Amino acid sequence: MSADGTPAAPRRTPPKPLRVRAWLADRLGLEELARTVAAGQVPGGASLWHTFGSVAAGLFVLEAITGILLATVYTPSVAGAWASVAYIQDQMTMGWFVRGLHSFGSSALIVIAGVHLLQVLLFGAYRRPREMNWMVGLTLFGVVAVFALSGYLLPWDQKGYWAKLVEATITGSAPVVGGAAQKLIQGGAAFGNLTLTRAYALHAMALPAVLIGLLVLHVRLFRRHGYTPKWSLSTEDAAGRATPTWPDQALRNAIVGALVWGVVTVAVIAHHGAPLESPADPTSSYLARPEWYALPLFQLRMFFEGPLEIVATMIIPGIATALAFALPFLDRAPTNRPGDRRRVLAGAGLGLAALACLGTTALVKDRRDPAYAKARAEEKVRGETARRLALKGVPADGNVFRNDPQYRAREIWDDRCAGCHGLAGTGGEKGPDLKDYNSRAWIRGFLANPDGPLYMGTAKIEKGMKPVEATPDDIDALVEYLYAETGAADADAARAGRGRDLLPQKDCDTCHDFDGEGENDGPNLKGRGTPKWIAAVIADGSHPLLFGDRNKMTKFRSKLTAEQIDDLTKFVLDLKGH
Amino acid sequence: MAVEPPDERRAFLKVITAGLGALTAALAIVPGLGFLAGPARRGAGASGPGPLRVAGERDVKPGKPLRVTAVGPREDAWLRLDHVTLGSCWLVRAVEDGPIKAFSTVCPHLGCGVDFDEKTGKFNCPCHTSAFDLDGRCLGGPSPRGLDQLETHVEGRDVLVRYQRFRVGTAKREPIG
Repeated sequence: MSADGTPAAPRRTPPKPLRVRAWLADRLGLEELARTVAAGQVPGGASLWHTFGSVAAGLFVLEAITGILLATVYTPSVAGAWASVAYIQDQMTMGWFVRGLHSFGSSALIVIAGVHLLQVLLFGAYRRPREMNWMVGLTLFGVVAVFALSGYLLPWDQKGYWAKLVEATITGSAPVVGGAAQKLIQGGAAFGNLTLTRAYALHAMALPAVLIGLLVLHVRLFRRHGYTPKWSLSTEDAAGRATPTWPDQALRNAIVGALVWGVVTVAVIAHHGAPLESPADPTSSYLARPEWYALPLFQLRMFFEGPLEIVATMIIPGIATALAFALPFLDRAPTNRPGDRRRVLAGAGLGLAALACLGTTALVKDRRDPAYAKARAEEKVRGETARRLALKGVPADGNVFRNDPQYRAREIWDDRCAGCHGLAGTGGEKGPDLKDYNSRAWIRGFLANPDGPLYMGTAKIEKGMKPVEATPDDIDALVEYLYAETGAADADAARAGRGRDLLPQKDCDTCHDFDGEGENDGPNLKGRGTPKWIAAVIADGSHPLLFGDRNKMTKFRSKLTAEQIDDLTKFVLDLKGH
Repeated sequence: MAVEPPDERRAFLKVITAGLGALTAALAIVPGLGFLAGPARRGAGASGPGPLRVAGERDVKPGKPLRVTAVGPREDAWLRLDHVTLGSCWLVRAVEDGPIKAFSTVCPHLGCGVDFDEKTGKFNCPCHTSAFDLDGRCLGGPSPRGLDQLETHVEGRDVLVRYQRFRVGTAKREPIG
């Protein structure tokens, strides 16, 4: 209806799809946008040199997507962090792949952002009038570094925990504000839940916002000043050879992007995702190493000890950063030609070479260090054990080792057994020391001095067993007999048989039966030391076939579950060693 | 490039560029969809825990439904919990020493917790006024079915219940997980 109320003339309506497109284009200004994009020109022609900024931005998008996916599962708490990451890595559909993309993608982002920076340096693109964008770019690089540093703490595994602990301590060593800064990072005086929630809020909320803002500014300023053509081209030449950004430069961006994606994917598949070490254990002595990109700084610190450490941790990096920011104002060269900027490029080259040397030194030193190899091997076992145990579900307190019967048994031992029994080979308070229990050496020692401090002495049993006196040969035979009774697979049957025949001769049979049926003063020796026998002693040592009324050990039948006694039996069996 | 490529070639380059872009995007998106869909496809764990002791047999008085909680083990994503509240149920007994029935407190309509009204002697859902009798039959309101009965038996002096959850909002009773 028109304004005066008469029906409007019917308009020609275009076909429907076009109509929708036109409607949207009108509202959103799509044509304008398309024109802007299409009008973009690359002076001097499209080039592989100009691809790195776009690829870095693409990698950031990859990090954002995989990061959001990980955030749907990840739990920033001391009890849940490692467990949720192990769940992603080992149990979720494509979990290892998504996590691997996030991890290797971040390394690729650091590499590509670094290459981008070097290209800008080589082309003199930091110079007038692009000084501000150079500084925005450097800040972006710093943000990416903080992303990486805050990210690798999040799994709360040994590597992340200890590397972050070292960094926090370095922060704390800064003059004046150090202590306060360290407490801010940690969310208190020590590492804990708040350290994780803070790192997570920074990594997943604050930094993305900052990075996106800076990236918009970076692209905006780039659009204002455009590509910096190669130094050999005059302004006229560059304009003459200009090609459209779309599709000429875009294609090159896409090719390099696809190549980088390919490398990342191969790395992810080759490593089956990203590494995950065992859960952080603040009581362990872990050989902390930072991620590869921080290794040069780590190595630099080795050269400055004690009060000079701050030279490596703050002063040198601080000076390098200040120089980088001031570069556009320090560089007074008349043209972009590298020949005119020898000092700048030589300085940058030296810096890069120093980083490479330091990083390589750190790697080579560790590779040659047997202590490092041993620590890594131990961690590998611990990590694999933890992840295997996590498949059964992690207890609410996050202690995955609770799933291990040996660990549970050790807890019971500390709680219920250690008060009387020793494990160190120095004797127990009220019962035998069980170091190497059931080994030939332990049995031999027992026969030599059953009432000694390492054996039944501390139990103070009235009319206990007397030392066995026999020729060394006969002792060997008796030891072998008892050793064989424990069910040991490597027992010498012939010698054990001879030992058995010696029992009456040595008056053992006065107190001991050895048929598994007879009840006597001492325990029946049949099957002594077998798993069943040990479990029976733990349950109730006063059984007539065992120690009878001489038993002084607590009867655990009513105090422990059958499963706990089973775990404990395995623990005791393992004391023999292998 | 000194020579301007003809428009036809440019059009081809555009297709290649878009293709490469789509390929790289797919690398994150396809695994991402699997990642998101994975947990949704998982069941709620095996067939649920075995029978759990919920009350003493003498505590269940005739005509006086008793609300009890089932405490037992549960697996939740990476967590393995040994003693958590799995849910509640009403224990109902018609006559002294008679058989005991257990009904889940989860209203089959939209999952609210069903109360017992001592005045009317009925189970009432506080959310949408569904009502059920002591046998769990739906007496009125939007509930598509009666209260969900749980497997129960008496062992010695204990009442044991096999706690289960069922899909709500359907006329058919369908266990979850």
